[in-house]
Amino acid sequence: MFHHQTRTRTRGPLAALAGMALACVLLLPAQAAADELNVVATTSSLGALAREIGGDQAEIRVLAPPDRDAHYLDARPSFMAALRRADLLLEMGAGLEEGWLPAAQRGASNRAINTGQPGHFRAADKVELRRSITMDGPNMGHVHEEGNPHFNADPLRMAEIGLALAERMGELAPEHAGAFVERAERAAERLREHAEALAEQVAAEQRIVVYHEDLDYLEEWLPVEIVGYLEPAPGIPPTARHLRSLVGDLEGSEGTVLYAAFQPARGAEFLERNLGWSAHAVPLDPPADAALEGYLELMTTWAQTLPRR
Amino acid sequence: MNRSILARRTLGGLAALAVAGAPPVAAQWQPPQDRSPVDLDISLILEGVYFNELSQGNDSPAGFDDGHDHGHDHGHGHDHGFEDGFNLGHSELVFEANLGDLFDGVLMLGFDDDHLDVEEAWLTTRGLPAGFQVKAGKFLSDIGYINSRHVHDWDFVDRPLVNEYLFGDHGLQETGVQATWVAPTATYTQLGVELLQGDSFLPYQGSGGSHTVGDDTIHSSFSSVSGPRLTTVFAKFGPDLGPDHAAQFGVSGGYARTWQEETPHGSGLEEWDGDAWFAGVDAVYKYSSGRAYGHGDWRLQGEYFYREIDVDYERREDQTTTAGNAVGSGKSKQDGLYLQAVYGFAPRWEAGLRTEALGLTNDALPTNEGDDRDFVVPSFDTSYRHSAQVTFRPVEPVFLRAQLSQNDFVDGDGDRDRGLEFMLQLNVALGAHGAHRF
Repeated sequence: MFHHQTRTRTRGPLAALAGMALACVLLLPAQAAADELNVVATTSSLGALAREIGGDQAEIRVLAPPDRDAHYLDARPSFMAALRRADLLLEMGAGLEEGWLPAAQRGASNRAINTGQPGHFRAADKVELRRSITMDGPNMGHVHEEGNPHFNADPLRMAEIGLALAERMGELAPEHAGAFVERAERAAERLREHAEALAEQVAAEQRIVVYHEDLDYLEEWLPVEIVGYLEPAPGIPPTARHLRSLVGDLEGSEGTVLYAAFQPARGAEFLERNLGWSAHAVPLDPPADAALEGYLELMTTWAQTLPRR
Repeated sequence: MNRSILARRTLGGLAALAVAGAPPVAAQWQPPQDRSPVDLDISLILEGVYFNELSQGNDSPAGFDDGHDHGHDHGHGHDHGFEDGFNLGHSELVFEANLGDLFDGVLMLGFDDDHLDVEEAWLTTRGLPAGFQVKAGKFLSDIGYINSRHVHDWDFVDRPLVNEYLFGDHGLQETGVQATWVAPTATYTQLGVELLQGDSFLPYQGSGGSHTVGDDTIHSSFSSVSGPRLTTVFAKFGPDLGPDHAAQFGVSGGYARTWQEETPHGSGLEEWDGDAWFAGVDAVYKYSSGRAYGHGDWRLQGEYFYREIDVDYERREDQTTTAGNAVGSGKSKQDGLYLQAVYGFAPRWEAGLRTEALGLTNDALPTNEGDDRDFVVPSFDTSYRHSAQVTFRPVEPVFLRAQLSQNDFVDGDGDRDRGLEFMLQLNVALGAHGAHRF
C-alpha cells in the first residue's frame, strides 16, 4: 500500500514505528469486503436493528457489552480501532454514551463518523423522548437534558428508528437502499405486532418498581405503571432509608420489581421480602450478535416477568 | 538526527498520505450541512488537599535537583507544593468547543491559591482524511501514559516521581504541533510526532548572557538555538481483548537538540552545554467485572523512562580562566519507573498501591570536586517511594481520596532517611466535563 512505503522512507525512530505499524497492517484479519457497509453500533439493540436491515450488505460491530451499563464504559483502544474503519456509527444519544463515546470518536480519527456527518446516526434525534427524571431531581451531575435515553426498551420507537436508519444506510450504500427500506419496514411491522401481542398477554394495570430509569419505556407498550425506583436519585445506589420509604408507600399493593442483571440485587430483594412482590433481573439489551429475532425474544423476556392475563 | 530534515520528511510524508492515501470512505465525507453554532462546554474542577507530614525524611531524591546539589539540600521539599494543613490543590477551569466538525478547541486554565496558568490551549483537526489529526497550541505531550492526563484522572494524589523529575512539575507541557495517524487495523495503532518548543523540558539560555563576578564580567559561551528545540515520537497499541479486558501499550521518545544550563557563583560561572534524549515504555490494563459502580474492576498501570543528557561542562573563574580542572564532557544518565494497581473493592470504593523507583541508573550532570576542582560525573543511589490510597466516589463527579506515602529518598552522601506523608484529597467536577480517555 502506498502509505506505508511513504512512511518507511522516514529515518530513525519514525522508521521503527512505521515498521511496527506495517507489521500490524499485515497481521490484520481480512477486511470486510468493499461493498459491505461497516457499521459500528454503541449498543446491541441498535446493532440488532442494523443487522436486520443490513442483511448481507452490512457488517455490524457492537461496542458496549450488552450485560454492562452503557453509561459507564471506558473509551477503549479497541473501540477506537473499530470506529477508525467504520462507515457508519450508530449511537443512542441523549447523553447515554457521553462519558466515553466522544473520546473514542476523537481517538478514532475518522471524519466520516464525526457528529453531523452522514456516517453518524444518533437515534435520539429520530424519536420523541420521554422526560428524564434527572431533569426534575436534584442535580447530581448526571442530567439527561434531552430526555430519557433508554428508549431501547420501547419496540415502537425502535421501529421508527429502524425506518430512519434504513434511509441513512441507503444514503451511504445507494445500491442497496431499496433492500434496506424493505427490511426495515418488515422489521417495524414485526416489532409492532409483537408488542401488541405481548401487551395482550399481560394482566391489566400492572405496577412495577425499577432500579434506574432504564425500563421506563415499558410504560409505552405494556399495561404497566412505574411506581418507584430503587435508586434514590439516578446514579446513586439504593439506601436503606429510601428502600424503607418505598416499602411504606407501596405496602398492601401488588406489583413486580425489575432490575438489570448488572445492577446490585439487594434493593430488589428487600422489596421482595417486605412487600411480597416478585423481583426479576432482566437483560436491557439483546446479545451482541443478535438480529431482530434476538430483540423480539428480549421483549418476550420483559413481558413474561409480569402476571398473565 | 537532523531535526529540520526529519520535520520536512515527516510533514512531506503526511501531506502525501493525506492526498494519496484516502480510503473510499473519505469520499463520503462532506462539509456539515447545517452549520451549528459554536458549542461551548465549560467545566470547573475543584480540588482541596489536606496534607500532613507525619515524619520527615530527605526532602528530595539525590541527583535530580538541577544536577548540582550534590550533597546539600536547599531546604525546600520536592515540589508538589503542599503545606502542612489545608491546601487549595490543583483546580482547573476547562472550556471545550468545536467549530462544526472541522476543529475541536480546548482551553484549560489551572489555578491554585496564587497562580493562574494556561495549562493547555489547543486546536485539533477533526476533518483530515485517512486517520490523520493535527493538533497545535500548548498541550500536554502524548509521550507515555500519565503525562497527558490531568489530576482529576489520576489514581493517586501526586504525580509519579519519574514524570515529575524527568519532565517537570507539570509533566511535558509544551507549545508546538502534533501530528498523529491512526492505522486502519483491528489492533488500535496510533503513531505520532510532535515538534515542541522545549521550554518546559529543557533549560535554554541562548547567546548574549553575562554575569558579574567580583569586578569581572563573564559572558556566557552559549549560542542561540532557534525553536522548536524538542522533537518527540510515540506509538500506542491497543489489542481487542473482548468485553472484560482492555489494554494499551506505548513506546515513546524524544530528542532535545540543545541543553543549556548555567549556575553563577560568587567566584565564577558553571555552564553545561549539550543535547539530550529520552525514551520510555508504558502499559495500562483494565479489567471490567461487569458489576455496578466499579465493584470488582482492576486497573494496572506502569511506565519506565530513561533520559540521557550529553554536555560539555566548564567552571570559569573569569572570562578566560577555567577554575582548576573543572572542564570536560560527560553524560548524565537517569531513569525511573512506577507500577500501580487499583481495585474496586466495593461499589464506589477503590484501593490502590503504587511503587516507584527513581534513579536506578543515576549519573547526574557533570560537576567538580576537591581542592583542584577535578571534573567528575557524580553517581547516586536509587530513591524509592511507596504509596497506598483509598478512594470513595459518592456520586460520579466527586471523589474523596486518602493517601499514605512513604518517601525513601537517598541524599547526596548516600544516606537514606524515610519520611511518611498523609494526604486527603477532595476533587469535584462541576459542569459538562468531557468524556474520559482510556
